[in-house]
Amino acid sequence: MTEKSLTHFFFTAPAVLLYTLLLVIPVFQGVYYSMTDWSGLSKNIKFIGLANYAKIFSDKRVLHAFGFTFKYSLLLLVCVLSLATVLALILHYVLKGRSKTFFRSIFFFPAVLSLIVVGMTWNEILFRVVPAIGQALGIEWLSVNILGSPATAMYGILLIHIWQGTAIPFVLILAGLQNIPTDLYEAAIIDGASPFQTFRKITVPFLLPTFNVAFVMVLKAGLMVFDYIRATTSGGPARATESVGILIYDLSYDSLKMSYALAISMVVLLVIIVITFVQMKASSKVEVGQL
Amino acid sequence: MKTKKPLPLLTVLVYLFVIAGTLVIAFPLYITFVTAFKTLDESARSFFSLPSGLYLGNFAAVVSDEYFRNYIANSIGVTAGAVGIIAVFIPMVSYAISRNMQRSRYYRFLYIYFILGVFVPFQVFMVPLTQMMTKFGLLSQVGLVLCYVAFGLCEGVFLYVGYLKSIPLEIEEAATIDGCNTVQTFFKIVYPISKPMTATVIILDTLWVWNDFLLPVLMLNRSPKNWTLPLYQYNFKSAHMFRYNLAFAAFLFSIVPMILLYAFLQRYIIEGLTAGAVKT
Repeated sequence: MTEKSLTHFFFTAPAVLLYTLLLVIPVFQGVYYSMTDWSGLSKNIKFIGLANYAKIFSDKRVLHAFGFTFKYSLLLLVCVLSLATVLALILHYVLKGRSKTFFRSIFFFPAVLSLIVVGMTWNEILFRVVPAIGQALGIEWLSVNILGSPATAMYGILLIHIWQGTAIPFVLILAGLQNIPTDLYEAAIIDGASPFQTFRKITVPFLLPTFNVAFVMVLKAGLMVFDYIRATTSGGPARATESVGILIYDLSYDSLKMSYALAISMVVLLVIIVITFVQMKASSKVEVGQL
Repeated sequence: MKTKKPLPLLTVLVYLFVIAGTLVIAFPLYITFVTAFKTLDESARSFFSLPSGLYLGNFAAVVSDEYFRNYIANSIGVTAGAVGIIAVFIPMVSYAISRNMQRSRYYRFLYIYFILGVFVPFQVFMVPLTQMMTKFGLLSQVGLVLCYVAFGLCEGVFLYVGYLKSIPLEIEEAATIDGCNTVQTFFKIVYPISKPMTATVIILDTLWVWNDFLLPVLMLNRSPKNWTLPLYQYNFKSAHMFRYNLAFAAFLFSIVPMILLYAFLQRYIIEGLTAGAVKT
């Protein structure tokens, strides 16, 4: 081994060690524990195979949490990605120079705040301020706390998530738009392409890799939503907003069903992997270059 | 597309739209600010009016918390510690990976190994991790810093390796010929050239560590003495939410540093964030 390769090896060694110890080994331990009956405290651990996994599909509480989480993630993806795309297109094609930079800074700002503080601030606003507006204006549906009723609480949390979660996808998509080489558009116009054609044949394929990154980020944020719910409803009222992230936490630390909670988390991991894979495959047909 | 000027009507609509968006973003911040400077009575009369005077009682009450200095010191300590280590660790690892990826399977494997972590939700290893940290006696700020360093590698290595690929090898070869060893080449040549990407990693990880909630809950929950700011703020939810003006004052302690940081660094923050994910 030369001095160079030895040094390179030592550059990586501490990081590999730390990462393996604190992330990779716990993941494999998690996989193992998910196939046991471990409560989190007991010393006797019995291997029970896939029994925890089988239980998931007949457990109404878990199925409800998955149902809530999927619905929530779908709405989040649709709202955040369409809002972020519209904002990015507007800023890129209509606003110029200073006003573009100014509004970009404004719309990105929520991303620098803590999720828990944003959640708690909105919780107070939805609890005290918005109903006060509703009463003053005599509008009935505005006079109640939307987080307080099982039927509407999810939309309250979504509102908070969209308020903060649009920021990063928005700047990503905007940067993606700015990176499309302008001479391609010029060439297309010379060749007589309509604006719609240039959008479909140039903008969309060039934007797709960026869009994929944004998609995976929002998907993961939706499937694992925790902080906002913790800061607002804690999963209530009547478990109406119990997401998988909240459920796993509660099962692990409050109900001491750690192995069961781990099995649920593995299902989420699988869902993320499958969706990401399918989505990457589907989009690889249209995209330019690779990510 | 660029040759056609947008219609004036469209421009007006667009401005109305982005101004409305700005108000939606400003609204909760405005409420937080004015509420923090009001007494409960004043807030009850009107949430929206500006405070009649600069009432500082809420801030006084927040600061008088027995451990308030601890929260600030812990937040700063953990963030500085974690980001300080990350700012050296990630460049070193990424450098080794990017310069050997072509010919060594080990480094190609490492690259994938680190990046795959991005897809793993925290809940998947949260319980075994806390068990392990308990066993090692690392349920402390030190343990927390180690976790951030480990988990920060996933995204950091991805961004940094991508950046290093664009730096020409000739500069390093010249340094080697001039008698620099590998460590010197890295710290005297490569690391300084890569300052923009190091800044990106520092900014992104500062935001992440400073704002993080779940990991500190698991690692520092034994005594309020150990809390970071987000834990203290969360505690308002259960402890004394009826004095919500206090809570808003406490929120400001986390929001204001971020506003200041953002005001000065927003260009770097936004461009840094997009540098890795969007490639030309």
